[in-house]
Amino acid sequence: MSNPSALINATCPACGLLCDDVVVSVTPPLNGQVASTSTCSKSIAFFSQASLDTSPRILGKSVTLAEAMAEVATILKNSKQPLLAGFSTDIAGFRAAHRFAEKTNAGLAHMNATTTWRNLKVLQSTGWQTTTLTEVKNRADVIVCIGTDVVQHNPRFFERVVWTKEAMFVDPQARDIIYLGGQGLDTSYGVSPSGKQPSILPCAPAQLPELTAALHALVNGKVLKSNQVAGVPMADLASVAERLKQAKYAVLVWIAKDMDFAHAELAIQQITQTVVTLNETTRAGGLALGGSDGDTTVNYAHTWLNGLAIQQETLPVHDALIWVNSFSPDKPLPKTAKPLIVLGHPAIKFEVEPEVFIPIATPGLDCDGTLFRVDSSVVLPLKQVRERNVPTLAQVLVQVEDLLA
Amino acid sequence: MITLLKNGKVFDPAHGKDGVVQDIYIRDGRIISKPADTEKIGQTFDLKGKVVMAGAIDMHSHIGGGKVNIARMMLPEYQETKRYTEPEAHICTSNCSHNATPSTTDTGMRYIEMGYTAAFEPAVLAINARQAHFEMGDTPMIDKGGYAVLGNDDYFLRLLANKAEQKVINDYVAWTLNATQTIGIKVVNPGGISAFKFNQRRLNLDENNVHYQVTPRQILQSLSRAVHELGIAKPLHVHCNNLGAAGNFQTTLDTMGASDGIPMHLTHIQFHSYGTEGDKKFSSAAAQIAEALNKNKHITADVGQILFGQTVTTSGDNMMQHLNAKHANPKKSVIMDIECDAGCGVVPFKYRDQNYVNALQWAIGLEIFLSVEDPWRIFLTTDHPNGAPFTSYPHLIRLLMDKNFRNDAFAKLNLDAQAMSNLSSLNREYSLYEIAIMTRAGAAKLIGLNNCGHLGVGATADITVYTDQVDREAMFAKPDYVFKDGELVVKEGKVVKVAWGKTHTAKPDFDAHVEKDLQDYFDKYHTIKVDNFKISDNEIADDGRNSVINHFYKK
Repeated sequence: MSNPSALINATCPACGLLCDDVVVSVTPPLNGQVASTSTCSKSIAFFSQASLDTSPRILGKSVTLAEAMAEVATILKNSKQPLLAGFSTDIAGFRAAHRFAEKTNAGLAHMNATTTWRNLKVLQSTGWQTTTLTEVKNRADVIVCIGTDVVQHNPRFFERVVWTKEAMFVDPQARDIIYLGGQGLDTSYGVSPSGKQPSILPCAPAQLPELTAALHALVNGKVLKSNQVAGVPMADLASVAERLKQAKYAVLVWIAKDMDFAHAELAIQQITQTVVTLNETTRAGGLALGGSDGDTTVNYAHTWLNGLAIQQETLPVHDALIWVNSFSPDKPLPKTAKPLIVLGHPAIKFEVEPEVFIPIATPGLDCDGTLFRVDSSVVLPLKQVRERNVPTLAQVLVQVEDLLA
Repeated sequence: MITLLKNGKVFDPAHGKDGVVQDIYIRDGRIISKPADTEKIGQTFDLKGKVVMAGAIDMHSHIGGGKVNIARMMLPEYQETKRYTEPEAHICTSNCSHNATPSTTDTGMRYIEMGYTAAFEPAVLAINARQAHFEMGDTPMIDKGGYAVLGNDDYFLRLLANKAEQKVINDYVAWTLNATQTIGIKVVNPGGISAFKFNQRRLNLDENNVHYQVTPRQILQSLSRAVHELGIAKPLHVHCNNLGAAGNFQTTLDTMGASDGIPMHLTHIQFHSYGTEGDKKFSSAAAQIAEALNKNKHITADVGQILFGQTVTTSGDNMMQHLNAKHANPKKSVIMDIECDAGCGVVPFKYRDQNYVNALQWAIGLEIFLSVEDPWRIFLTTDHPNGAPFTSYPHLIRLLMDKNFRNDAFAKLNLDAQAMSNLSSLNREYSLYEIAIMTRAGAAKLIGLNNCGHLGVGATADITVYTDQVDREAMFAKPDYVFKDGELVVKEGKVVKVAWGKTHTAKPDFDAHVEKDLQDYFDKYHTIKVDNFKISDNEIADDGRNSVINHFYKK
């Protein structure tokens, strides 16, 4: 911990971008108020969370941490098929959970698995050609946001990556921004600081498969005998295809969470295959954004520790459930008829009290941590910015493990 | 407590010992001289007739970091247990999963079961180093380390294009070694990965990167000199331009001369030893490459042998992997541009003995092994998993040590490939002593691990004990005993105790001014702060299992 009166450079885990240029100020006492200087509403909300002195509970009744952990051990001793799910945590939390799962024969699942798998199905079917944020910042001359405005999930994407002061290989102000598909998007961030307007070609999200397929066909040099596709005039779509082919480094952005329709992976695959086709003659990259609650991190760590990606189901069969949620108190709790143990954010509200609730530290706020950025290659440390008397997920799991031994 | 290994036949090339019967004493994880008669021996292993070597060191194996994890994620079908058929059947260890991309746990277990006690990840992308260390940290049983990849990062290319003084380059290289917690520097397709981002599709040794107007030769000169002048033991690790392309042997020969006599290591040289002769315009240039290696004493190389079966190629060389993607089997691939720092290409491959090119690649690797005279300058690798999974090392060792076995395998290959190879005329059979050089003493010397790869007093007690068998594959697949830091961890090919290794690094001093410029550069062009690029010792050691060792000593 630094001097309490000092400003602290912090990394923000509120979305997949992991902005590490955030400065927070901590008002004494050390367990007091934290404020973020960021312009991002998600970041401000994250760092200004109240420091609650929530105690562990058994069926709603306050108990000591030792009593709560003993109860967890009792439940697990009677369980043949426990499940560790939710998994809003960081690498240290997942590593501990992985060891815990091996000892207790527990399954592992993540709350965002449904959206994660929209992308993974494409990776495992055809693979893809992708890029990362610093490449986009320095090279991208055409950026297509497909079915998303990005900012709803990653509020500072345009500020930090698109309308930058400097870039090594392009004039950032001259970037060509295109919103392709989606409805009711906030396209204001796509307007350049000098006032250059983005192209906007809306369609219903469920029509993205046909729109992306048509774009892929046009980039492939096919002639489509129709005036429109998904309500987008063919001439406009052809213009997008042409701009992509003329680009030196086109970037096609999508967010799996915004593709909430059946077989979204097929639309994503049309996007990634369009990128592959573009790369036959020029350079282009796909960029899957979004991401939060440690989903990228947990999937990657699960993959190296188990040899396989995290499973597709968010809540597989179980006879006892440990729900881990370090970051987002507002995320809905799972519906289960089995004994429920929640290791989570102190501010989680329950309609029905679980068998056991143990408040745990939030990485990047109450303890140090490490997360993967959404574009996968960059892994950043998170800093403790205030002092709280709550255990980390790893500390709880290690102690419960001892009780089970 | 003192452990005594009694009566073993010791193969310890660092001390010139070629099958000398000798006792070895171990205390506190190290080899000690014979203690006084009054001292108590805690346990004794009678190794009469057994072969004793230091633990093996894999100096080039992709065991951690982004690429290999993408391969795991992309290829769930690999996690099924499979059995290879002839001619590449190999003897399974107790838990052999045959996976080209095992989990970190399996990686450590499979290595130690074969008597390997260290492995080095040769392509740590600087920006991705934290992931590489997390994965290596989750790899049990063995020591680890990595080589940081430079030479296609825009910071370095800007320095070179602006004709920065060598001193500035040296500081940047030293800073990178510190920041990434690595022990060596690698360059992959010098300048080519950057060139691909500017839509160049191939880059030859004296061809300019279109944007920076610098050539691969200049990059090699600058980086090899930096490594040399800083006093880093490990020579610059070079993955040459034109990987896998017919006719690339000329680039490889020219690369040997690019550093003006400063040491360089050319990695997976088999993939860079192809000619263009014959009807199929693809031929072996192993003879020319081996001759040049024999002549150029400043050059070392590892082979990157291919073996038949399913695997996956994971490389930083996205320029060449983009070309290779059309050969993917199964048909999928990942190609990435990464952070103005590097690239990556993951392409699954199935090497088939009846395929002309694959069969010849197999023969070319073995021709190089058998034609390079000095075993201290050639290293046994499959470029795991690119040529084959590391679990096939015992099979490869038998191919090198057993001429009849080798010729029988050769006779089953694609006939056109047989006609284009002189392999069956090469009579050499590697000795146990030479194998110990390639996989122990030579590797330790190359990387600069003073306490590993040998059995002298003071050495780390990483020791492997084999039964001397005619079938060298069976022998090397399943040691009788493996000791890690003096503890018995493997008995009869099975892990009996879980241990955690160390992370080897080399962290030279540097002038702090370099960081000022880097901070400006990161703030202007990157998307993270320079402070977050740097990895502290604590990040590696704080899990309570691993530790960091700095091998850099001022001369």
